[in-house]
Amino acid sequence: MNEIKIKSKNLNVFYGEKQALFDVNLDLNEKEVTALIGPSGCGKSTFIRCINRMNDVIDICKVSGSIEMDGIDINDKNLDVVSLRERVGMVFQKPNPFPKSIYDNVSYGPNIHGKGETKSELDEIVENSLKKAALWEEVKDRLDEPGTSLSGGQQQRLCIARAISVNPEVILMDEPCSALDPIATAKIEELIDELKKTYTIVIVTHSMAQAVRVSQKTGFFHLGKLIEVGKTEKIFKNPDNKMTQDYITGRFG
Amino acid sequence: MTKEQRLIKRHRAEKRFKFYGLFSIFLALLFVLILVNNIFSKGSSAFMKTVIKTEIFYDQELMEVENGASREDILDADFFDVTIESLLKVYPTNGLEEEKQLINLFSTDAEIEIKLNFLENNNIAGQKIILEITASDDIDQLHKGNYPRDLPEERRRISDFQLKIFDKLVDEGKIEKNFNNYYFNKGDSRDPELAGIGGALIGSFYSILICLLLSFPIAVLASIYLEEFAPKNKITDFIEININNLAAVPSIVYGLLALQILLSTLHMPRSTPLVAGITLALMTLPRIIIPCRASLKAVPPSIREGALAVGASKFQSVFHHVVPLALPGTLSGTIIGLAQALGETAPLILIGMVAFVVDIPTSPVDPSASLPVQVYLWSESAERGFVEKTSATIMILLSFLIVMNFLAVYLRQKFEKRWN
Repeated sequence: MNEIKIKSKNLNVFYGEKQALFDVNLDLNEKEVTALIGPSGCGKSTFIRCINRMNDVIDICKVSGSIEMDGIDINDKNLDVVSLRERVGMVFQKPNPFPKSIYDNVSYGPNIHGKGETKSELDEIVENSLKKAALWEEVKDRLDEPGTSLSGGQQQRLCIARAISVNPEVILMDEPCSALDPIATAKIEELIDELKKTYTIVIVTHSMAQAVRVSQKTGFFHLGKLIEVGKTEKIFKNPDNKMTQDYITGRFG
Repeated sequence: MTKEQRLIKRHRAEKRFKFYGLFSIFLALLFVLILVNNIFSKGSSAFMKTVIKTEIFYDQELMEVENGASREDILDADFFDVTIESLLKVYPTNGLEEEKQLINLFSTDAEIEIKLNFLENNNIAGQKIILEITASDDIDQLHKGNYPRDLPEERRRISDFQLKIFDKLVDEGKIEKNFNNYYFNKGDSRDPELAGIGGALIGSFYSILICLLLSFPIAVLASIYLEEFAPKNKITDFIEININNLAAVPSIVYGLLALQILLSTLHMPRSTPLVAGITLALMTLPRIIIPCRASLKAVPPSIREGALAVGASKFQSVFHHVVPLALPGTLSGTIIGLAQALGETAPLILIGMVAFVVDIPTSPVDPSASLPVQVYLWSESAERGFVEKTSATIMILLSFLIVMNFLAVYLRQKFEKRWN
């Protein structure tokens, strides 16, 4: 069993009057893939957006409770959100490369964080990130082409390379394959398997099969509550909760 | 009603709608055509002027210029006698009245043209030179065919005697049409043949430049702040409503504001491009802010999230990603705002740009005219020469507007980046 990287305690999230998360207590293990499943609007995405404080962008969003990363509360007012996001990368549901060149897409992060002072260092970071994202072979000859000219699956891997480029500790993935075809999905899943050796990964997914394939731990959310969490095998073979059982067998959701 | 009947009815409604659309487009095009045709037929002749080939005798006895006189001396010198003597030789006259009528065939600037020619060619003292002297407005219009010759003499501005001279000059091939350089390089004048848009062009250029320098940075920064950084609350809502309202305020109100604040309170120089530029900037600000905010809003939130997620600060995500993507829309909005400002007349009339300014401004604090106000001024003059100049100036103004609008479209299409 790996060590706990991120620990949420009594996490409550409100969007204005509406409460989106109720007392979520969830531990995420280091160098492991944790899958979050559950029907739409159950709070999975809200939860992972708390980990890199992406919810700060939404004015009406209020967070209470705590999320600790390596024992430090990330909601601490003194904590700089920029350095938090340097440590916690994120990949979104829809591939969102910047309308810039492939190279600039990957080098942007290191640039703003002052990594890769020289051109050759930066080149190396870009190359390594693209290699880790399994995209290097496909794009190495056309790094100056716009990132938006790639196919959907390639764009998503470019976004993963962008997330990796600042060398984070955690990567959050919000339904990364929902806009992709099965072949591109398979590639991303392979990639996730590879990445978990280095990074702690949290993936939100609507596909049970995907959760089974890529994750070691699974949490099931329903109506803002964490219903059940445990080893993936157990959750899918022998869940404790009736609701989990119903959801994974397709009886609702 | 059966199914078939309903179907027929639906098809008819569609056809009717298409017909209305085509009809209104056709109507609009027809009006544009009439307008352009009207302006063009009245205005195109203003780009030519009538000249009379005249032999000028630089008689040393009549000139008050000594050999080796300096440029200033020549400019100060009196060429009146040389002019009169030379012009009177064009046609035999009998008596003072006929002499006066003969002289009136020529522009009042004839003496200056003769003097300037002398200045350019040093060694022509004592020689006889054939010069193309600008004709008076009446002769100009007569030659262009805009002047009715079949009216009784007492209702014509041109006498029978003048007509006789004119016909003879035409027969001798001494009357020609040249490119009207005066129209482009002279300021306003009481004499239509000498009036030009030189001053108005420079005045408009300075005004628009000042307007651009003031309104563009303020509008862009204001839009970025309001759209990206300002909290969404009642105060910002109130500001937004007010900006939208300001864009719809009649431009003459901005003229009143400038009159009260810039001229009466701050005592800025009246009728100058500086004041015009500031006034137009006030008017243009909301008209740039609105398209600028719209193009910022059009940048998809996923781009912002992407930047934030790799650890860009809010400021970095806005200035590295959102603003560059919004720039094409902002620029085209700015150009269209400036095009509106260029054609604006009412506020400029209030700040005194309607004054009669002969000199061409050399700086933004010189009194000046501007293109739309020049159109307005000339449109009130009765002479046929001003009528054609009014239309010609409208043509110039419209061509600037068309160029600016095309530029706006071009910029937007060229630099607009596509995102998925």
